[in-house]
Amino acid sequence: MRTYTRAIRTALAATSLLAALPALRAQSTESEIQALRAQIEQLDAKLRILERKNEIKDEAAATAATTAPKITINDKGFTLASADGANSVKIRGLIQLDSRLFFNDGGGVVNNSFVLRRARIISEGTFAKNYSFQLVPEFGGGSAAGATAVSILDANIGIAVTPQLQLKFGKFKSPVGLELLQSDAWTFFNERSIVTNLVPNRDLGIQASGDVLGGALNYTVGIFNGIADGANSGNADFDNEKDGVVRLIASPFKSDVSSPLQGLSFGASASLGREKTASGRTGGYKTDGQQTFFSYAASTITDGQNWRLSPQLDYRNGSLGVIGEYVLSASNVRPSATGTKTELRNKAWQLAAGYVLTGENSSYAGVVPNNNFDFSAGTWGAFEVTARYSDLKVDDNAFPVFASAATNADEAKAVGVGLNWYLSKAVAFKIDYYQTKFGFNAAAPAVSTTQILRQDEKAFLTRFQVAF
Amino acid sequence: MKFKVLLSFLVAAALAAAASAKSITLLNVSYDPTRELYVDFNAAFAKYWKAKTGDDVTIKQSHGGSGAQARAINDGLQADVATLALAADVDALFNVGKLVPQDWQKRLPNNSAPYTSTIVFLVRKGNPKGIKDWDDLVKPGVTIVTPNPKTSGGARWNYLAAWGYALKKYGSDDKAKEFIAKLYKNVPVLDSGARGSTTTFVQREIGDVAISWENEAFLALKEYGADKFAIVVPSLSILAEPTVSVVDKVVKKKGTEEVAKAYLDYLYSDEGQEIAARNFYRPRNAAVQAKYAKVFPQLELITIDEAFGGWAKAQKTHFADGGVFDQIYLK
Repeated sequence: MRTYTRAIRTALAATSLLAALPALRAQSTESEIQALRAQIEQLDAKLRILERKNEIKDEAAATAATTAPKITINDKGFTLASADGANSVKIRGLIQLDSRLFFNDGGGVVNNSFVLRRARIISEGTFAKNYSFQLVPEFGGGSAAGATAVSILDANIGIAVTPQLQLKFGKFKSPVGLELLQSDAWTFFNERSIVTNLVPNRDLGIQASGDVLGGALNYTVGIFNGIADGANSGNADFDNEKDGVVRLIASPFKSDVSSPLQGLSFGASASLGREKTASGRTGGYKTDGQQTFFSYAASTITDGQNWRLSPQLDYRNGSLGVIGEYVLSASNVRPSATGTKTELRNKAWQLAAGYVLTGENSSYAGVVPNNNFDFSAGTWGAFEVTARYSDLKVDDNAFPVFASAATNADEAKAVGVGLNWYLSKAVAFKIDYYQTKFGFNAAAPAVSTTQILRQDEKAFLTRFQVAF
Repeated sequence: MKFKVLLSFLVAAALAAAASAKSITLLNVSYDPTRELYVDFNAAFAKYWKAKTGDDVTIKQSHGGSGAQARAINDGLQADVATLALAADVDALFNVGKLVPQDWQKRLPNNSAPYTSTIVFLVRKGNPKGIKDWDDLVKPGVTIVTPNPKTSGGARWNYLAAWGYALKKYGSDDKAKEFIAKLYKNVPVLDSGARGSTTTFVQREIGDVAISWENEAFLALKEYGADKFAIVVPSLSILAEPTVSVVDKVVKKKGTEEVAKAYLDYLYSDEGQEIAARNFYRPRNAAVQAKYAKVFPQLELITIDEAFGGWAKAQKTHFADGGVFDQIYLK
């Protein structure tokens, strides 16, 4: 009986349990869903918190970036600048390694060589937005074998008062010659034309310049120690005489984008001053191949007024670039301290052009290739062909009192052609061929006593350059 | 003939007046939630100044965490006026940059605080966590949104309000510190400013409660809907006194001293006070206070001077490097 009852009880319990199973299962599922929902909500909250933390981190980084100094390293140099750009220091450099090869020059002249033409570390900076400096030492150049002379090319301080008034103090290029004012790295040819012989190079002084008339006119006026044709100033001047320089360049179509003359700039520069120095007016006029074809007699001294006048133009239109300039340089010289004063007028002009074969724009500030040379990628950089004609004529009155007709030419007419390969913005390889024909004064002998003047100069110059 | 003479005279006078009218630009460097207030106020002041002097004045605004803004001014941000969340941040302009005189706060009425505010809670619709007072914030499972006291003035007011409550209720600094430590354990995100915290709470939907400037809480309700959020007023809070000052060194250099001073003076004018009240800042002017009495709830407010011995002491004790906040939060 007991067994029977137990069996019935068990059966009833089992039946009850079976009957309750769906409800229990339903309850269990519902609680699981609720637990999962709560879990999802927690995870969602955590995810949103993490996302927000990332947002805050990004915002903080963006804010910090606005106040953090900026470091820029590119093919224009190394720049460390304050967040607002008002203060910056920039390091740039220029290395030019040349080879010079002269053909048919009689064989007796030692002139074929490799030359470390320029080696410069350029420091520039801006402080409080409007104050700037530039310091350029020259480690290369035409030093004698074994010499290691280092000179200061540029050392100047600028004040940007307004775009219309920029002041510069110190040592920098005197604003007379068009091609001379162009950066050494970006001229059409490895060497500037013989015209540059007649304009002052770097001088010590004060200059004001600026763009006016909406940029259509650029003016420069300055007062300088005054230096000889083609010369660089030392770091001091020991006479009281100074040179005044003025330069006006018009770009009347600058803002007319549809005009083929948009890239035309033209104008003139002039200098006027007095010099009284114990040395001659110039160390010598050089050919395109950098050989001296004229120099004053060592006893010649400068004494009195000198002036220069130089009309000039620059034209850029797409891949085409043209520059032209004329220089008339007049100076009063004496054959010795007590000799008769004479005004000599030397003249020169040039016309040069370049055309970028690969389609990039010709520019006064250099050609920037669309694609850098990369052999594996099959890109070749930019190629530019160049041509130039130039002429320099020394005043006939220079001979024979101020210069020997036997050892000097009185005129040089030079033709140059070149090919420039811009491997990148910073790296270029350039090949030039120059041929210079010399003219002589009537008093000159049939054959010059200077060996390099006995035939045309035929020079093949190559250059490998890094400029940043 | 006379007419021509008169006309010529009038034209000449008009030209002379036009030629002499100046165009002035001021920079108001302010804290996070004052954007809307100063948009309204700047327009009113420019109109007032034009009518008074004929000069056009444009006021530029810069907003961020109050502490961060003070650092930016010390770092060279050319602020003509600083309208910051608390006196300690303007003090920093003297302590660090010597940009204002030491007694800057005495130059304008009400300790250079033209309007006040307080700290309240912003909760979600229906107040799901049942938050009524500060004690509810330290319960496990409650998530709080408040900015970083190291960068935000509002966050410092939040912290001190909570501290003041705990000190009063539990009776000791140690207990208050314990309370604050519990509170910040429930804070998952520290924004750099009050507006960022509002974004975290309102737009990113993080947290059960945001400890907020009263004006910012009202603005959230106005902008995002009273049906989505509610304001809970705690039993005790703090009288928050945002302070303003001309940045003397900058205005002297820029030649904007006169207009910068007038700008701050105008905050105390009837119109300035009305604009402040409209933007949910408690006005100082009794008449405007009365007009907006229903807007601002009455509650017990402690003051920084009474409860903490002034901002200099509170800043040093609680928020300086190695202070109480660092001790509890970096632990």
